Amino acid sequence: MSKKENPKKKINYHQTLRDVATSMVRLKQPERLLKMITRFIDRQFGLTHTSLLIFEEEKKRFIFVDSKGSSRVPINLIRIDMDHPLVLWFQRVKRVAGIQEDYLSRAMLNQWMPAASQEFIHQKTDLDVRRLVKAMDAFKIDLAIPGYFKNTLLGLLLLGKKKSGRRFTPSEISFFQILTQDCSMAVKTSQYHQSLEEQNIELACRIEEIEAFRKKERDTYYEVMRALAQEVDAKDAYTFGHVSQVEYLGFLTAREMKLDMSGNRKDILAAGLILHDIGKIGIPDHVLKKPGRLTEEEWGVMKTHAEKGARILDHLSAFKDVAEIVRCHHENFDGTGYPRGLIGDQIPIEARIVAVVDAFHAIVSSRCYQQGRTPEEAFKEIKRCAGTQFDPVVVDAFIRALKKEMKKRGVSCAIHKESAYLKVQEPSPTGGIG
Amino acid sequence: MNKLLVVDDEPEICEFLQAFFEERDFQVEFATSGKDALAKVEKKPPQVMLLDVQMPGMDGMQVLKEVKKKHPKVKVIMVTAIETREKIEEAMRAGADNYITKPLSLEYLEKDVQEKITQLAKA
Repeated sequence: MSKKENPKKKINYHQTLRDVATSMVRLKQPERLLKMITRFIDRQFGLTHTSLLIFEEEKKRFIFVDSKGSSRVPINLIRIDMDHPLVLWFQRVKRVAGIQEDYLSRAMLNQWMPAASQEFIHQKTDLDVRRLVKAMDAFKIDLAIPGYFKNTLLGLLLLGKKKSGRRFTPSEISFFQILTQDCSMAVKTSQYHQSLEEQNIELACRIEEIEAFRKKERDTYYEVMRALAQEVDAKDAYTFGHVSQVEYLGFLTAREMKLDMSGNRKDILAAGLILHDIGKIGIPDHVLKKPGRLTEEEWGVMKTHAEKGARILDHLSAFKDVAEIVRCHHENFDGTGYPRGLIGDQIPIEARIVAVVDAFHAIVSSRCYQQGRTPEEAFKEIKRCAGTQFDPVVVDAFIRALKKEMKKRGVSCAIHKESAYLKVQEPSPTGGIG
Repeated sequence: MNKLLVVDDEPEICEFLQAFFEERDFQVEFATSGKDALAKVEKKPPQVMLLDVQMPGMDGMQVLKEVKKKHPKVKVIMVTAIETREKIEEAMRAGADNYITKPLSLEYLEKDVQEKITQLAKA
């Protein structure tokens, strides 16, 4: 082989191998390509030994991917531990001792063997040059080249002598360095791929599970709540039918106000309207069902239903907003309500709506001690309390909406004097908060 | 000179370990089957034996038991890819002097073999 042909051929190797190495980085399982690289070096450079080792993250050790040449090692027999002289050298010594070359040759070690140099290296590290010599000789290698990823040693290329007896040229060494670097990158990329994929699958499963569970929990809870609300409705005989009527009236009002019903706001409003009196489940019957006026003490007990209702709902994170509506549905616009005496905007808009429609429905409902009044009378009463008990904006919207609705359906206010029912369509079913 | 017998059904492993220990001044023989191993022990008992557990025909466990019965002085280091607690316990009960799993660290293997030689020298 003439000197002129040689560099040309080398450039071709370079180009070919660079291409292979680049594509390798994108490979998920680089092992086969790493083996190909080993074989390629073995054949093209004619070496007594070519071994490629990669770092095994799990077991914190280096294992042989492949080994070729007359001095090859049985790849399943041997591993290299983290305390192996070569690993220690490339992992640690290189930086400590400030040595620039990212490779180690047997020739370099020979130079360091004289006492002074040996002392130099020995002082800065706990490594003995002789241990390195022994380690390299055990594998019959002349050249060791490290591959790093972010300063972590991930690969090692171990090379024996050229069968021709020639020495490695600097450009060959730099080529091996690039190659080993790419191999390490490929290994790291594949590890990332693998762990990311595993994590993604795991995560997707967990999210799906959690979502399904949450939805089920929400649906179940909502159903239970609705059943409880109906229970309360039935328990409180005067307000029978109250729940669905309040829900319906509340929606009329919200629509009239052009309230934001996007996302789950609609469900939250529905739940607030349905569940506002849920706390009455915790009010003793002798108070709840008492005909006639309540004593001051009984009234105190009665008032706790807002807080009690909110507490039932507090347990479910999805019902946080609903709980707040329930808690606030007896707050007055001017701050004279209960349980906290909130004022104006401090009270959630849904709760302000509940307050108005709840009061209206109570006024028009017949109670055993009191004949239900007409919607007109109820409007008058509610208007009177606009700005004090009620949000005037809500009151306006409510009255406007209900009048429109009654006109559309040809319902006269007077007809329903004896009945609490406004004979209108059933409220649209709501499917839980989603 | 210290005598070492390497037993493994893979000739490549035997040859590698033979070369490795010969460079460390051992007199190394190898056997690629259990039967062959027992014959070599009978002919010339080694100080230390590196014994593969999984081999076709007579396996390492059987070889270990035979060797320890007839030549209890021979130090036997089990070298294997199998790493179950049962196997390790079985080998230890049968008198194995150590149990090393593949892939192994050459440095550790060398240290361990030297240790066995030192133990024999003291005894």
